[in-house]
Amino acid sequence: MANRSLVSSLVRSAALWAVPALLIAAIILTLVYRNTIYRSFDDPLESAVTALIASVEVDEEGQLRLTREPLDPRYQRALSGRYWLIGQDEGEGPLSIFVASRSLYGESVSIPETALSDLNAKAGEFIRSPVLGPDENEPLRALARQVVLPGMDDPVIVLAAADRRPASRSISQFAVIALGLLIIMTVGLMTAMWMQVRVGLRPLFALTDRVTDVREGREAQVDGDYPPEIEPLAQELNSLISHNKNIVERARTHVGNLAHALKTPIAVLQNEARLKDDTPSEIVNRQTEIMASQVDHHLRRARAAARGQSIGVTAPVDEVIDSLVRTLPRIYRDKELEIVRRGEAGLIFRGAKRDLEEMVGNLMDNAAKWTGSRVIVNTELLSSEVDMKITIEDDGPGLSEKDYAEALKRGARLDEATPGSGLGLSIVDDLCTAYKGQVTLGKSDIGGLKVSLTLPRVRPNV
Amino acid sequence: MRILVVEDDQDLSRQLHQALKDTGYAVDVAADGEEGHFLGDTEPYDAVILDLGLPLIDGVSILQKWRADGKTFPVIILTARDQWSEKVAGFDAGADDYLTKPFHTEELLARLRALIRRASGHTTDMIELGDLTVDNRSARAFVSGAPIKLTSHEFRLLSYMASHQGRVISRTELVEHIYDQDFDRDSNTIEVFVGRLRRKIGTDRIETVRGLGYRLVDPEDSKA
Repeated sequence: MANRSLVSSLVRSAALWAVPALLIAAIILTLVYRNTIYRSFDDPLESAVTALIASVEVDEEGQLRLTREPLDPRYQRALSGRYWLIGQDEGEGPLSIFVASRSLYGESVSIPETALSDLNAKAGEFIRSPVLGPDENEPLRALARQVVLPGMDDPVIVLAAADRRPASRSISQFAVIALGLLIIMTVGLMTAMWMQVRVGLRPLFALTDRVTDVREGREAQVDGDYPPEIEPLAQELNSLISHNKNIVERARTHVGNLAHALKTPIAVLQNEARLKDDTPSEIVNRQTEIMASQVDHHLRRARAAARGQSIGVTAPVDEVIDSLVRTLPRIYRDKELEIVRRGEAGLIFRGAKRDLEEMVGNLMDNAAKWTGSRVIVNTELLSSEVDMKITIEDDGPGLSEKDYAEALKRGARLDEATPGSGLGLSIVDDLCTAYKGQVTLGKSDIGGLKVSLTLPRVRPNV
Repeated sequence: MRILVVEDDQDLSRQLHQALKDTGYAVDVAADGEEGHFLGDTEPYDAVILDLGLPLIDGVSILQKWRADGKTFPVIILTARDQWSEKVAGFDAGADDYLTKPFHTEELLARLRALIRRASGHTTDMIELGDLTVDNRSARAFVSGAPIKLTSHEFRLLSYMASHQGRVISRTELVEHIYDQDFDRDSNTIEVFVGRLRRKIGTDRIETVRGLGYRLVDPEDSKA
């Protein structure tokens, strides 16, 4: 319930009242129409009954006689669907008919019991009732009245009836049309409602898109004009984003300051201790060595912990690789370093620039350190659309397969012979993991180690 | 060879000063960015050791200013900042090498030697001129394989002249490169040092070019 779409719940609640309301409207309309139809249906019957009562007489022999018959020619034509009769209810069986229209053709109509008892109960009043006609029991609608004629003891029933099928047909036709129209109206109303909600919520959808842009690194802030209801939300989001950035940035700065603050004293202590050969110097030497590696290790952990957290930070991959391609030959001046750059251009890393620099920098540095002369840096898109792959390979001695796992382990130093070397792979692995990426080691086609980084990238807006 | 150390930590700066002096360099020390920049701008150093986090002006800015002013001396950045972004920024500003703290003094010295060597166009720490050998690594000199006893000033003089062999070097240039700024400079003392050096390595190895200065030569070459 809590997570139902805003659009569907708005449309649904609109439907909740609109559908019954329209249904009731359809029913009422049909009923009103039906009454109108029956009234105009009953009018001629009523005047026929009134005319019959006015013109009936009882002669001396006690026979009923009409001074004037109703004029409608349909009363003359046999089984025309329009009839009249004057008869008497004898309690059992059909009415005994005194006089009837010629159209009845000597037959009678069958009046339901309820109508007869109504007639008895409400003498003198018009009673309306469906009756069955002489022509294969066709459905008729009758208007009857029980009256006492002067010169007769028992009351007689004066009745006029007409085929009600045309009227019924007309009513059901009307009902179908009314219902059809109202269904169309309902659908139209719902569609309009849905569109209105979509349009009304458009700024909200736009906001969602902008937040996605920020999340995926296409934008740094939630941009755009929003209606006053949403504007505060957009502003809050922006300040949240910059707050987050500040926190991460501040954490980095603190960490950097701490590094700077600790490393110089350690360097001083180490230099001082190395000058002498006595026991205290040895201890200081050993302990400062531990301090240095501890500081290094924990600073790297702290830096790594701050990653992957800041939202909306991106870095152009080309720029980072280019700057390293520029810098490394200056560090390895004594080598004829040839760095080949291949692959996809224009990729954008979704994360902090300095983190990408650390990863690619350490890997390229390793490659440059171990290579004979050639280092290849390749970038490629991955089919997942949100990832990219940066591969760095060299033509140095490489690693044996059993060393791969060891190399990625924290603090492992595979080659103690090259001073201060350590492959730096554990740092890369830490960082890469923080970005939910992956480091893969393998053998390069040109002979040495091949390291592949899978990292998140910014998917360009399509 | 004259080195400038720009480092704000007093102890580290003192240690560097001592280690460099022991290796045979003339050393000037600046404790803040402004002084460092000024010294680099006005004195002809053979190499500079530069910290990044400095009071008044930061290291990268100093380096950029020097390079913009056409200073070409090799600069090695010595810093606790070990991130690649900082390394890249340092090299882009014109650094020639980058060493992170904590460091081994020997490594710093080795890199410094390599920088100076490269700047003067030599490929090894051993400079040879006929049967004269100058070993910048151990700060010693040999004639026909036999070591010569030299004072630190004498060695500096020989080392500088060996690095720029064949070229006439003025007295002023020698003064600027073998004394630190606190030394009482008197170009006459150069003559004294040159005299002593001649006695130790052979008179004909140092030519006097009247009115211009001195030149270190291989006597066998000039005979031929």
